[in-house]
Amino acid sequence: MNEDPATTIRDDDWAIDVSHVTKRFRLQGASRSLKTAALDLLRGRAAQTFTALDDVSLRVRRGETVGIVGANGAGKSTLLSIIAGTLRATSGTARTRGSVSSLLELGAGFHPDLTGRENVMLYGAIMGIPRETMRRRFDEIVDFAGLEEFIDQPVRFYSSGMYVRLGFSVAVQVDPDVLLVDEVLAVGDADFQRKCLGKMDEFRARGKSLLLISHDIHTVRRVADRVAYLARGRMLDVGDPLLVSEAYMKDSVLEADAALAKHEWGNEEAKFERAVVVDPATGEEREGVVECAGRSVRFRLRWRASRRLPDPVVGFSIADRLSGRNVFGSNTQIAGVRVPDLDGEGGLELELDLSRLHAGEYLVSFSMHSADHKTNYHRLEHALRLKVVNDLWFDGLVSLPVEWTV
Amino acid sequence: MGARAQGPLKWAELTRILTARNLKIRYKGSVLGFFWSLLTPALTILMYAVFAHILKFNKGQPHYLQFLVSGIIVWGFTAGCLNDSLFSIAGNANLVKKVFFPRAILPLSTALANGVNFLLTFVPLALYLALTGTLAWGPGLLWLLPAFAFHLALCTGIALLVGTLNVFFRDTQHVVGIGQLAWFFLTPVFYFPQMQLEAAGFLGAWRGLVFLNPMTGVLALYRRALMGAAEQPLVPPAFAADVPAWWVGVSCAMCLAVLAIGVAALRRGDRTFGDAL
Repeated sequence: MNEDPATTIRDDDWAIDVSHVTKRFRLQGASRSLKTAALDLLRGRAAQTFTALDDVSLRVRRGETVGIVGANGAGKSTLLSIIAGTLRATSGTARTRGSVSSLLELGAGFHPDLTGRENVMLYGAIMGIPRETMRRRFDEIVDFAGLEEFIDQPVRFYSSGMYVRLGFSVAVQVDPDVLLVDEVLAVGDADFQRKCLGKMDEFRARGKSLLLISHDIHTVRRVADRVAYLARGRMLDVGDPLLVSEAYMKDSVLEADAALAKHEWGNEEAKFERAVVVDPATGEEREGVVECAGRSVRFRLRWRASRRLPDPVVGFSIADRLSGRNVFGSNTQIAGVRVPDLDGEGGLELELDLSRLHAGEYLVSFSMHSADHKTNYHRLEHALRLKVVNDLWFDGLVSLPVEWTV
Repeated sequence: MGARAQGPLKWAELTRILTARNLKIRYKGSVLGFFWSLLTPALTILMYAVFAHILKFNKGQPHYLQFLVSGIIVWGFTAGCLNDSLFSIAGNANLVKKVFFPRAILPLSTALANGVNFLLTFVPLALYLALTGTLAWGPGLLWLLPAFAFHLALCTGIALLVGTLNVFFRDTQHVVGIGQLAWFFLTPVFYFPQMQLEAAGFLGAWRGLVFLNPMTGVLALYRRALMGAAEQPLVPPAFAADVPAWWVGVSCAMCLAVLAIGVAALRRGDRTFGDAL
């Protein structure tokens, strides 16, 4: 999995070439005063440094899309800034071929007092696009961002979504050879995200290179040809998107387990007292991490209500532990099952068919709330962890029924 | 591939847009917009005229008022640059951190925007001088060209230097505040050049060294151009023996020196702007 980028890409075929880049930041605060500077000189003391990137190498081919994953503070944005030329490496080199457009954080340097139109022209000028070319592309930019009515308003009146849409739109429309994108797609709505993904595909199809940071592992898997995994400033792995992002998620799950740990909330007028898995054969109750090798799993819930609560709804959801994504959730209201009014002790059981689920670990949550969803009595987040064991082989989390016709 | 301007041409367009941006932002949201560039100096001249009349502080000095306001307006370009350039880089952190382009364009466009603004303020000044009959019509006005050229070089150098320093040492803004006042008093803005040379008497034959202050010579060039050699010679005739007119060239050389220092400072800082912001 660990490939040496220098040997796998021919010398003339790269668009981005990062070679043994190390970046250290001074840890004294951004702007020193004359006094501290003078004192440092007198004492001959070197400022404390923080190594944000440690001997990182990466080559991106022409026409290739590479995703960068890694926890917060791993050095992803620093790496992108160095490639974009806004930061300089302490040692090592970062080179790019062709024009580079960067979308680092929101807005890519828009000035709040200028209108959308003025900012677009400014950005074009920064990218070195002649005015006439920008004018010709202008309508397309505005159209793509969906900002026709607002384009002559100062951008400080824009919502963060509008800001990002315009930023992405202009960065793409300046038609760079290399596009750097730093975790910006998360802000746009679903529709815009789809447009962006489409644009990235189009980009790739035209032989342009793309380097993108995203915390959304699904986006990365969807668009990237290769994934680079940064951790604490080191490049741990570069390679197959599925394998590398899986490795990243496994690591991050270990760290995030504390955050994912069981927690609960609600007004507790009614409270779960027991949420367990019942073994159908023996009737044995199991808590915590439960291994499920069979086709289905049976949950048993017991609760106690401090007063009479009419028409309650009991629900559950099951989430993929690696990504934290919900795989499925439902409740008695959706299922059309009437739960008797809560009063004192009560309970129910539910059986869930797991036969379509990919092997892996899942977190199960339960909740109890009023019929109008306004009052949450109790929610047990990640009450149980299911280890689903089966030998189904497919991509994704859920196996959908397929009929092939050849 | 879209057409892409190359080399310096590419950055000329960015410089133009950033200069326009600086000008636009100055009057953003105001009703009269850029007319303030004309109105402010016009009202300034009016203020001086009114209060000079009431307080009679120009008594006995011919054309003192014209001498004063030309100095005030020329000084305004320098002062405006000093103040605006403090945050020409630091205030554009969002650009500097996110997009690559030659950083020098930021202070340069600050200087240029102030230059454009200064040219506008020149209109009411010239008008006032013409109306009061003190404008020296004729080829002597060509002295304005070197005056403005060296002044712009000086202001660009200041912008580069101050803009760079303020990224790394935020003390710069305080130093600039007080330094500006000292510089103002060291420059014959409201007092006559001969008073400066008299005060520099301790330098003896070397009193021409007052022209090490670039603004001394720049101001002399402007006044020579506007009011004529008879009224405003480059160097006061009383000191012609010790201070020949070529001392003004020392000021011009100093303008270029400041520009060179500014360029050097920016180059030195350029490597670490991203870290410091």
